[in-house]
Amino acid sequence: MQPFTYHRATSMADALREAALPGAAILAGGTTMVDLMRGDLWAPSRLVDIGRLAELERVETGGDTLRFGALARMADVAEDAFLQANYPALTESLQLAASQQLRIAATVGGNLLQRTRCPYFRDGSSPCNKRSPGSGCSALRGDTRDMALFGASERCIATYPGDWGAALAAFDTSIEVASPSGTRTIPFAELHRAYGDDPAVETTLRPGEIITAILVAATPIGRRSTYLKVRDRRSYAYATVSAAVALEMDGDTITRARVALGGVASKPWRAAAAGTALEGQRLTRDRAFTAGEAAFADAVPRGDNGFKIELGRNAVAKAVLVAAGRAS
Amino acid sequence: MTATTASIQASGPTRRDARSKAAGSARYAADFPHGHPAYAALVRSTVARGTITAIETVRAEAVPGVQAVLTHRSFNRGLGDETFVMKGGHMQSSFMPLSSDAVHYAGQIVGLVLADTIEAAEEAAALVEVGTTREQASADMDAARAAPEDDEKAALCKGDADAAFASAPVKVDLRYDTPAQHHNPIELYATTAAWVGDQLTVNVPSQWVMGTQAGLAAIFGVPQENVHVECPYVGGGFGSKATILPHVVLIAEAARRLGRPVKLVVPRDAMWTVGSFRPATRARVALGAERDGTLTSIIFEETGQSSHIDHIAFPGSTAISRMYESKTLRTKQGTVATDVNTPGFQRAPAEASSFFGFESAIDELAVALDMDPIALRLKNEPAVDPIKGVPWSSRSLKRCYERGAELFGWDKRNAAPGMTSLPDGTLVGYGCATATYPSAMAPAAARVTLKGDGSLLVETAAHDLGTGAYTVLGQVAGEMLGVADGSIAVKLGDTTLPSGPMAGGSITTGSAGSAIHKAATQLRDRLADAATAPGAPFAGTAPSTLGFADGRVSAPGGVGHSLADLLAALKLGELAEDAEWKPHGMDDETASKGLGGGMAMAGPVSDVSSFSFGAQFAEVHVDPILRTVHVARMVGVFACGRIINERTTHSNLVGGMIWGAGFALLEQSKVDGPQAKFANADLAGYHIATNADIGEVTVETIPETDTAVNAIGAKAVGEIGIVGMPAAIANAVYNATGIRVRKTPILIEDLLER
Repeated sequence: MQPFTYHRATSMADALREAALPGAAILAGGTTMVDLMRGDLWAPSRLVDIGRLAELERVETGGDTLRFGALARMADVAEDAFLQANYPALTESLQLAASQQLRIAATVGGNLLQRTRCPYFRDGSSPCNKRSPGSGCSALRGDTRDMALFGASERCIATYPGDWGAALAAFDTSIEVASPSGTRTIPFAELHRAYGDDPAVETTLRPGEIITAILVAATPIGRRSTYLKVRDRRSYAYATVSAAVALEMDGDTITRARVALGGVASKPWRAAAAGTALEGQRLTRDRAFTAGEAAFADAVPRGDNGFKIELGRNAVAKAVLVAAGRAS
Repeated sequence: MTATTASIQASGPTRRDARSKAAGSARYAADFPHGHPAYAALVRSTVARGTITAIETVRAEAVPGVQAVLTHRSFNRGLGDETFVMKGGHMQSSFMPLSSDAVHYAGQIVGLVLADTIEAAEEAAALVEVGTTREQASADMDAARAAPEDDEKAALCKGDADAAFASAPVKVDLRYDTPAQHHNPIELYATTAAWVGDQLTVNVPSQWVMGTQAGLAAIFGVPQENVHVECPYVGGGFGSKATILPHVVLIAEAARRLGRPVKLVVPRDAMWTVGSFRPATRARVALGAERDGTLTSIIFEETGQSSHIDHIAFPGSTAISRMYESKTLRTKQGTVATDVNTPGFQRAPAEASSFFGFESAIDELAVALDMDPIALRLKNEPAVDPIKGVPWSSRSLKRCYERGAELFGWDKRNAAPGMTSLPDGTLVGYGCATATYPSAMAPAAARVTLKGDGSLLVETAAHDLGTGAYTVLGQVAGEMLGVADGSIAVKLGDTTLPSGPMAGGSITTGSAGSAIHKAATQLRDRLADAATAPGAPFAGTAPSTLGFADGRVSAPGGVGHSLADLLAALKLGELAEDAEWKPHGMDDETASKGLGGGMAMAGPVSDVSSFSFGAQFAEVHVDPILRTVHVARMVGVFACGRIINERTTHSNLVGGMIWGAGFALLEQSKVDGPQAKFANADLAGYHIATNADIGEVTVETIPETDTAVNAIGAKAVGEIGIVGMPAAIANAVYNATGIRVRKTPILIEDLLER
């Protein structure tokens, strides 16, 4: 860990002023930031702690838009009864992430910016274009089992690890960000970048911008939704594959369908083709598997991760069947 | 979420150390205060093999508070081969980091930063720049640059196993792989060293304080009594803390040079390379049988991963060869050198890996025979040791299987794979496997003191790794003198105490317990003699007829006196007895070496053959779509001689079984090919079992009276719990799915239907 200054923001204006200074980084729950700093993977010279800004903690679920303040805690959102009944995919994604200790500390805004678990990024020494641009990608010839099948490039094949992000990708989600010049809203699909030439740049956030809220369009599709996480152990593990599915149905016909994937892509991954494969169709077990196949039709396997095409198909299919079985 | 329900009806005194651990007052090695220590941080090589051509320390030395940056240029101190534990020494490896410019494995310590604060040390360590040439290296035994070496001494041969195999009417011939694994005790490696003149105090989590004392004294050229090793509590060891790790020597040397105590706590990611690990194995198991299941040929060929810097082997043959009667048997053991830190002891080092393959193959033979796997095993139970022909000190495996099958409900198993499921379609599989562990012993010494208030103090330099030794060893003395458990204090883990054995090979209770039993017997005899002397309270009574119970001494039919009153009446103050105990048949010279901190083990086979045995069962549930495996139930029934404390024994066996489940389904240190290093060196990437992974666990023990194994009749408990579980689970996975996975961990991709 390298020396840094620490500033506890007293207001949003104070936070934005400090965040604009060179070398600044925002500290919220700290559960990923402190790890990265202790591993010398990120060495900001200035930490701006926004953790005491109460106005960023509110969760509002009454209107046309669900509004999650960036500092709402994962555990609190996961345990919200209204959300559990009306948007189970969202609460399940949080409940299946990390451990309760971490969920109590971690924020829903910070969670979106967690960085890859790629061991070559995390070890602090392997050639890694994400950590040390231009040094190469050790994963290409290394252990590829948990590398991305979507949105990767020859420069980086790491996966985005988050569950909450994968679930949000199944909804009409946008991100509210603030900067000294005002507030703007980014469609969630545009927050994270797929890896292109510079995998070190993972989001479209501009220097000094702070995520203030996550906005999800209120929709009845949330009731028939689920987040299915497949992992190598039953608790405290990142997704091997995950599928977020939300359905609207008319009798046994699917009228709207949203499918997103986690654990297999460089960013939260909306599988639009899977939704298309379901919409207007009668729900059958075969149809659920067809949607799973559609979700992975464009997957690019590498080395040891090819099994995730089949596993992912099965995960999507099972999630479709679970979601369809829920009361509307 | 699934709850873990290990039945805890087991009785026995509660842990003596429970309160201090729960309250946080138990002092672990890194908790010992030393005045103004310097803090150390490690610089480790990112290159697996090469030569250091440059080390830039100027920036590191400029960090405020940095006292010194040691590298091979300033340290430059090697150790001889004879210091390696497998060559009669005490070191985890004969290779000493910082002794030269050679880099032998990724993660090797190449620099040591000493500073006034831990923050400054860590900051500076990150600023040291190391230039190293890169030479071809492999940490993967399947792509090693060296050819396998045969270990002819470990080979066993009985009859012509290959001819018998060739002519056997039913046979299997299979290969099984296990990966490298790392112990990862929750208490990190740590060392604090402080010199006063030529007196050295070391606080290090250790499974062998006597060996650590002897080894450090030899390395630093001081008398053994000048080295004080102190670690009353160890937060998990599993073999990782059994030998002196190289950084302990580095820290002691740094403290000497700095003239100041030095403290190091090894970070989690460094735990993969600054100590040892369980090496990968590759095994061939070929079994031949008559159609009625009579085994006619056992062939076991195993290659284990070793390192280029040392040669180390954990041959499975010793235990494998004791399992079944067969007119022929041939074993072959070998190693392959790889560019890694030297592997070492990890819970059941030889048995856990080799039994995965061997007991899987027995199950596969049962399938080939269309025979129940328990019936196959019991049909081939050997009446005497199949290799030496000597009797068993005790062997109750048949009873373990009978009781285990009953507890588990084995009769409900459908032998046809893939035919059993829950109403929701979840596939159900049942499997079983045999476990064993040799009952070896080491010499030990102990002191038992009866205090004036009638309480007992028991002292020996043995260790409690969380296993219950504090509790069990106190009980041994308490039983002899009739002192209640609440009035017994036990001191362990300190070289100022009478010599204790390494906490390795499941020997502590049998060895240290036998020494305590001997000292307590002497004490009882001495007190009985004094109490029956003319003028004493029991004058005229025969000493051997006095009863010791409930803190009182009494003559037959009499009420007697409390121990405290008796001591007062005899004006004895307190009574202390020292005893040295050595295993049956061990010569005095070897025993003396052992008591002096050397490696001296006896058994498991002399004029009797002593092993603990167990029957282990698993029920697995496999998701029919996602192919994830859940261990719904485990049952283990073990026969380990006399069980002194059911409660601690039960916990130890449950813990071993849970680790066995992790072995089967989770644990592996992944090797990166191009960089020749362990790639998942943190607890997010290296999966150990969580509560949610483990369903119901049931453990029972079969009472055994074993008068041959040692003075207290206690056989090995510590390691047997893990041994049969990986195969039992793999066999259950086969029963659930019809898919035979011959490697661990068994992962989702191994079970997807193609």
